[in-house]
Amino acid sequence: MKDELILRVQGLLTEFYTERGTVKAVHDVSFDLHRGERLGIVGESGSGKSVTNLSVLKLIQYPTGRIKAGKVLFKGEDLLGQSEESVRKVRGKHISMIFQDPLTSLNPVIKVGKQITEALRLHHKMGKKEAQAKAIELLKLIGIPDAENRVEDYPHQFSGGMRQRVMIAIALSSDPEILIADEPTTALDVTIQAQILELINSLSDDKGVATIMITHDLGVVAGMCDSVCVMYAGRIVERAPIDDLFYDPKHPYTEGLLNSIPRVDRDQNQRLHSISGAPPNLINLPPGCSFMPRCGYAMDICGKKTPPEIFLEGETKRTVSCWLHVKEDKHG
Amino acid sequence: MRRFFKNGIAVAGLLIIGLYIVTIVVSMFWLPFDPVAMNSARVLEAPSLSSGHLFGTDEFGRDILSRIMKGTSVSLLISISATAFGGVVGILMGIWAGFLGGRWDNFIMRVADVLFSFPSLLLAIFIMAVLGEHTYNVVVAIGIVYIPQFARISRGAIISLKSNEFVRAARSNGAGDSYILFRHLLPNILPPIIVQISLSLSVAILLESALSFLGLGVQPPAPSWGNMLSSARKVMMLAPWTAIYPGLAIVVLVLGFNLLGDGLRDILDPRLRNVR
Repeated sequence: MKDELILRVQGLLTEFYTERGTVKAVHDVSFDLHRGERLGIVGESGSGKSVTNLSVLKLIQYPTGRIKAGKVLFKGEDLLGQSEESVRKVRGKHISMIFQDPLTSLNPVIKVGKQITEALRLHHKMGKKEAQAKAIELLKLIGIPDAENRVEDYPHQFSGGMRQRVMIAIALSSDPEILIADEPTTALDVTIQAQILELINSLSDDKGVATIMITHDLGVVAGMCDSVCVMYAGRIVERAPIDDLFYDPKHPYTEGLLNSIPRVDRDQNQRLHSISGAPPNLINLPPGCSFMPRCGYAMDICGKKTPPEIFLEGETKRTVSCWLHVKEDKHG
Repeated sequence: MRRFFKNGIAVAGLLIIGLYIVTIVVSMFWLPFDPVAMNSARVLEAPSLSSGHLFGTDEFGRDILSRIMKGTSVSLLISISATAFGGVVGILMGIWAGFLGGRWDNFIMRVADVLFSFPSLLLAIFIMAVLGEHTYNVVVAIGIVYIPQFARISRGAIISLKSNEFVRAARSNGAGDSYILFRHLLPNILPPIIVQISLSLSVAILLESALSFLGLGVQPPAPSWGNMLSSARKVMMLAPWTAIYPGLAIVVLVLGFNLLGDGLRDILDPRLRNVR
């Protein structure tokens, strides 16, 4: 069952319209997600990680932005082609999301218990008493003591870590098949981070939920995911199973990322490696590879043509978008 | 709730309003005199215990206390229904305008701006002149004056709220527009709206009195505080009680609503919550 394809994103293109021009936030992004798989999406701020996942649920609101092209095949059906009404039936029921900031993701004036069962009430028309019992059950599941009384509390009476747990409970309440976690631990301190990741891990293991973990923390990816997509300037530059990526990065950007992780075994006086330069402005992307200006291996062709996403030889799960790995026709 | 009873101002306001409500209830079953019965023998009698006319009589010999009591229900009823009408329409328009934004928002708010550019009394007089002099038209006129006020307050509150992450979270749970608007956003904007309601109730009393005073509101012989003042105008120097008591009735009730509104503002505004 593990190899059953559950989500396939193809050629996703999302734009935002600002006063200064059109921002191509997500550019030709494709990836697959299998049942029970844990996929990490890493990249720096503004690389399109979150927008990719908002697009999967069609949560980009016109006129701010628009999904211009691509397909999101959930169990073979394209969500992007469906009406708002029918996508709504998927959100929170089959695919749910955990947001980055637990402090603002809960409504301050609604009791926690009621918010936990929101998805259930929306999708299953659950009655009040039943929902209350379910809310208590879910609070117990995520390890909140005194659940019977805490369901009556408001979000401000919970700590940040507890609120993130509540978010997880909301996301998992209706037994989704896909869980999208958008930087679920960014706003939390390190000890709580570990607990939250552990919780997501164990709950998704128990229920066989496929997880997309969006993060800029390679440590989180290493500890949790089966495979990784590395995003840069709106594109996926490398896709690989977790171990391959860490031991044998193919894309210069991935290599740079891995080199810039602080390490205990390195000389204390050595300065931390950083990738020189800054990410490009997504409004006026120059032709060619967007990483070229910062790349140590840049060639002539890199500035002229966008590198195609190619499967590495002999691999079925690794792709990379870089001219270094295109065997023939390097001079365009 | 506990915070409410700790707030002396709000409780004082509520007590005053309670007094008027008791008056209404009493006036439904018992009045000292018939409020519209004229008595040519007792015209402009000064207040006295022995005659039974505690607040005196007017130029037709009608008992002023009875008329004030009867007028209380008219004034309060108009004030409450006008606020309800203006509030419901204004809030609905405002929250949808704020939530949807764009053209609809622009249209609604420009209409509101136009209505705002008239002084409220002038606007109310204008609407009364168009609709004709009927008690229920007073409700409509005051209600229309209120629509832009409620619309603006709720629009502003919704705009600052709708970019919150919890809105997106609700959407990702499968909630639709109206679910988000009414279940998530509306409860969040209640505090400023509640304050606005209590202040609107008091202004409605004044507007109703002003309209009746000008002869556009409640028509004689039906008593209302405004038309009592209006008829007292001619005999005020001779018999000051004809003006003083209806005037007092207005002032005290307006004071009550304002105290309640101020108190509620202190209670509901989290920034003032810990100031003591």
